[in-house]
Amino acid sequence: MREDKLTSLMLRRRRFLQGAATIGGAAGLSSLGLSSAFAQEPEKPKELIVRAWGGSWVDALKAGVSDSFTAKTGIAVRHDLTEDNEIQPKVWAAVAQGRVPPIHINWDTTTNATKSALRGVTEDLSDLSNLKSTTDLAKPVGLDGYPIVNTYGYVYVLAYRPDAFPNGAPKSWKDLLDPKYKGRIALYNDGIGFHFPAQVAGGGKLEDIPANMQPAWDFVAKMKEQQPLLGEDPDFTTWFQKGEIDAACTISTNAREAKKNGIDIKWVVPEEGAKFDTDGLWIPKGLPANELYWAKEYINHSLTVEAQQIWLDGLGLPGVVPGVKPPADLVDDPSYPTTEDAFKHLIRISSKVQVENESEWFSKFKAIMQG
Amino acid sequence: MRAAKSAYPLTWRIMDALEAFAAFVWPARFGRAIPWLMLAPALLLVGLLVLGLWQIGDASLRTLDTSTFLMSETYTLANYRRAFTESLFAVVAWRSLAGSLMVTAVTLILAFPYAYVMVRTSSPVIRKLLLIALFLPFFIGQVVRAYGWLIILGNQGMVNEALSLVGIAPIRLLYNYWAVLFGLVQYMLPFAVLMLAPALTAIPEELEAAAGSLGADWVRTFRHVVLPLARPGLVGAGLVVLTLSLTDFAMPAILGGGSQDFIANAIYDQFFRTSDQGLGSTLALLLVATGSLLVGLVFTLFGAGTLAMGRARQ
Repeated sequence: MREDKLTSLMLRRRRFLQGAATIGGAAGLSSLGLSSAFAQEPEKPKELIVRAWGGSWVDALKAGVSDSFTAKTGIAVRHDLTEDNEIQPKVWAAVAQGRVPPIHINWDTTTNATKSALRGVTEDLSDLSNLKSTTDLAKPVGLDGYPIVNTYGYVYVLAYRPDAFPNGAPKSWKDLLDPKYKGRIALYNDGIGFHFPAQVAGGGKLEDIPANMQPAWDFVAKMKEQQPLLGEDPDFTTWFQKGEIDAACTISTNAREAKKNGIDIKWVVPEEGAKFDTDGLWIPKGLPANELYWAKEYINHSLTVEAQQIWLDGLGLPGVVPGVKPPADLVDDPSYPTTEDAFKHLIRISSKVQVENESEWFSKFKAIMQG
Repeated sequence: MRAAKSAYPLTWRIMDALEAFAAFVWPARFGRAIPWLMLAPALLLVGLLVLGLWQIGDASLRTLDTSTFLMSETYTLANYRRAFTESLFAVVAWRSLAGSLMVTAVTLILAFPYAYVMVRTSSPVIRKLLLIALFLPFFIGQVVRAYGWLIILGNQGMVNEALSLVGIAPIRLLYNYWAVLFGLVQYMLPFAVLMLAPALTAIPEELEAAAGSLGADWVRTFRHVVLPLARPGLVGAGLVVLTLSLTDFAMPAILGGGSQDFIANAIYDQFFRTSDQGLGSTLALLLVATGSLLVGLVFTLFGAGTLAMGRARQ
């Protein structure tokens, strides 16, 4: 009898502790949107590997998403700084060969991610609970479901050094054709961000993209006479800091980074408009089930207001969750569009059109610039 | 017993055992295969290379379907047609070829006196200094060296700061073709000196002394004695510099400002920027073919130089 009573007491105590742990755990995980899945919560991996861009980009992701995810789940997050273009063939090869991919989550441009989605190497993310509270921007255009979740937008602004423009901010991309800026302009080395405004500046129409982009190539040819420097994201910040350039077509984050480092720099959206695009997160196929689950939870976590607020404060870019406030220095800034009116000045072309024509556009741009 | 043991020490017994083991693993009748056994690692390495080239060759005959981003199932010569007809690739190929030839010529001209002084100097201090100056860059990677030039030659770099002291406005020294060639020459110089030094060491000093004693001045001695005898070194160094320059990626990427691409940069763009592995493979194969043709041409005209390992054409 005594033994029976003791066993009964122990059982009740164990059940109580289990119940308390369940309630506590559920309370903690509800903020992650995991409560519904708690009962089936799979084994946690020691770490998740997230491919990211370096410098201020990865710092912002770590502060906003990775650190808080680790704090809530106990799963460490390792950031792999392999370039997005270079991780792509590795992931594609791993999926094709049935191997476990080298990363859990890819932080990627939507255009690049769309290529992976079209190739069929991305997991579907439609079941993320936080998707229901996102804006339309989160949904990739022209693709079924959510093979990618867009997490923010960005603008390819015209960044400039004010002392090089004594008559005031440049109003048009054509202002860069002034001979005094010869050798003092920078563009991306594949022309990304510049093709569409060049179409308008060259006298063409956006509706003619991709069928007739001759006006864009004519304008690029004029710009070639200015002997622009051609580079990647980190180059723009460095070139502004080293006094190599006066103006650039670049993502506003790079210009803002140079400004944070003490360089006098401003940016505008010229009258022809500026390209607006998105970046996103996606998961490659081939992960073990438990790792896939937690990778999805990482992306789900990135869609919370708290994570977006810190992450995008660091990047200075508009997110996809209502309630995220712009940083103080970017209120009413054209690179941080929040209203319908602000979006009117921006050029957005579907990822599908971009992906299908990108190779040809890059070749045309390169042929002009390398000639 | 004790005497027998000392007469046949333990080490001999071990050697006997090893020999017996070797005879068991590799019997004497396999003796003819020993050269092939020694060649096996090289054959394995070359085999892997051929396998890779075979796969690249296969990919070069497939085109990219941009609606699925998969390579085509059928073979086509479309990538080769693009490579030979699009102006971009012609410009980049010509720039790479002309650049590598210029870099080779300038590097050999600069490397020769350096190697000569290093080999002939009677001062151990000077020889050591020259050797240190030669090997130091090897400890610094190509990319770091290229970034070093950005610091030195940039608009706010040391050279322009020095020019500003005498009232000269900053000059754009970087991000052009000449900056790329300059960086390549600086990178290739140690390779060339290292290839030339053994060839110059092999020239007996007495030959130069004999030429002098027969009335030849320095120029004639150099032209008719040193230069012909140094040919194997010049050919070997030239081949190494030519092939490395032709296939270089980092210098055009860093010092060219994005507008001075070499073939390797164009290949990178196809593989990693446009995801077109077919066209990238085509360009890679054409680069291998061009490099091989150039090397074959040099071998035919001048022999293999020091690369012939003492069997240079006389």
